[in-house]
Amino acid sequence: MESYSLGIEKLDENINGIRTGSNIMIIGPPMSGKETIVNNIVYNGLNEGEAAVIVTTREPGESVVDWFSYNNLEIPIEHLGIVDCVTKTLGVPTSDTATIRRASSPVDLTGIGVKISQFLEDFWMKQNIQKTRLCINSLSTILMYSNIQTVFRFLHVFTGRVKASGALGIYVVEDGMHDEQAIATLKQLFDGVIEIRQESDIHYIRTTGMSQKPSDWYEYTIEGAKIVLKG
Amino acid sequence: MAQTGIPKLDEYLNGGIPKGKSLIYFNHPGVEGDVFGMQTLHHNLAKGVTCVYVTSSSNPETMKDQFSEFGWDIHQFDDKLIIIDAYSPLIGDLSNENYVVSDPESIDSMTEMMNRAMKEVPKGSIIMVGSLSTIMDLCGEENTLNAVKMWNKMALVRDHAIIYNFTAWPYEENTLNSMKDNIFNCVISVGGIAERVIFGQYFGVLKADWSEIEARSMLFRVLRPGGIKIYIPKILVTGPFNAGKSSLIHSLSTRAVSVDRLGTTIALDHGHIDHQGFSADIFGTPGQERFDPIIKMISGEAMGIFLVVDSTLPKDFVRAKQMLDITKGYGLPYIIVANKQDLPGALSVDEIRRHFNIPEDVPIIPTIATSKEGIFEAFEVLVEKITGGN
Repeated sequence: MESYSLGIEKLDENINGIRTGSNIMIIGPPMSGKETIVNNIVYNGLNEGEAAVIVTTREPGESVVDWFSYNNLEIPIEHLGIVDCVTKTLGVPTSDTATIRRASSPVDLTGIGVKISQFLEDFWMKQNIQKTRLCINSLSTILMYSNIQTVFRFLHVFTGRVKASGALGIYVVEDGMHDEQAIATLKQLFDGVIEIRQESDIHYIRTTGMSQKPSDWYEYTIEGAKIVLKG
Repeated sequence: MAQTGIPKLDEYLNGGIPKGKSLIYFNHPGVEGDVFGMQTLHHNLAKGVTCVYVTSSSNPETMKDQFSEFGWDIHQFDDKLIIIDAYSPLIGDLSNENYVVSDPESIDSMTEMMNRAMKEVPKGSIIMVGSLSTIMDLCGEENTLNAVKMWNKMALVRDHAIIYNFTAWPYEENTLNSMKDNIFNCVISVGGIAERVIFGQYFGVLKADWSEIEARSMLFRVLRPGGIKIYIPKILVTGPFNAGKSSLIHSLSTRAVSVDRLGTTIALDHGHIDHQGFSADIFGTPGQERFDPIIKMISGEAMGIFLVVDSTLPKDFVRAKQMLDITKGYGLPYIIVANKQDLPGALSVDEIRRHFNIPEDVPIIPTIATSKEGIFEAFEVLVEKITGGN
């Protein structure tokens, strides 16, 4: 059966393939390297001939592309689509490129939705790629501008699209920014969670909901563009 | 009368939107429904009409810049374009506009600015609410609908045409239904044709209380520059040798051409159909295996498929399934046309379904293509599948 992998070895061994159409939340404290983890998951997919759509709410689309080249990670750029929710709010005149399409702000969920759909259509119909990873980095920023019901409705539609198209959805949430009820509400939409916790400067990672039992907690460090798991 | 500036739509609405009427573009998430409002706004500004635009999800300058994507420079109409800024205060920005909603999360604050602007602009202006869904997200569903009723009344008193862009996220069913049924004079539904991904977009008039209209829908594409253009979709007719594909196309079409030799099609059949407000180009492929690459080529651009079979020849069904598989990779909606029902030994729909072993939701329509029996029904069923019945 077709499935996805994260590209993080120990976690992948435990999961043994993520079902197509799955929606997964990554939750962790600030500065724990979630960005690097997401980019690795994207890179892993691009490497396997899949496509990827990244919705960026914290940094301009160009910075996302630059991360890959800065770290000497070669990617097939025509398989990457970025929905940039930042640049237009800065008031700098910009236009869309083949890789980067810009929504007018993180409030503009309609525009973000249209641009995600366009990339999904392009990859499926024009490039004939039937596996795509959709990453929203981060839901927390979107939640700063819109209330939880609004974001829930938006996600309800797009987690549904991920399911229908057999894609893989990855959604980043900042731990500690939202109340527990908000997190519990969002969790209803997800099939699994990648959890990150921090104890006296050491970071740990595990997966839940993606295999029969949660994986063990692995200590990890970020070395350049790589995530290194210990144990 | 204000025109929408959308091709075909003004025709459907008997010329456009009469003074004092309300219209909503009811957009399904992920389709480019916003462009409808933008095109209407630009069209009217260019004709010298005063327009009021309520911006809720981007600052006024970003909003104006978005028009340039379509080749529309609306900065030149600054004296005719009045902005109600319901965005800047939301993110704590200062606004240069004359009309600023001090608290975009309060519906009363919205209504106050709407009323003031509608009073102060000349009668017969166009009022455009850029994102009713954002207002609804911020102020609540019930509050917003109650306010909208007031705004519509105010527009009626002042002879303005009031137009809303709305993204139909999964709100309460009551909310969505009353929006479609009671609150607006006219509802234009903008939707997507989705199987695995959205691969086509259409609009249709659900309601317009000033004119007798039949339900119609039109496929469109958004061009940059250019805006909304009507798009005539392709429908593929495929099926085994001598199943009656050419007869089907000729019977359906207002005009049709076949390239054939000794009565069998050797290249392509082509026809055009206009039925109940839906037009399509129909392409038929020959049944012989050596022409299979043609099926592949056309299905990449098609919107839906008729699989035609001879109901008296179950031995050909294997070949029919094989032809369907060629097109299936594209995830297109399809129906089975059980042709030659007038011949002795023709299998019934249930028998054919058993032979094919296909899901219950795939329609099988009995037809006699040569005498046009069942064929328009088949077309309607396929269109319904394509547009999801919306």
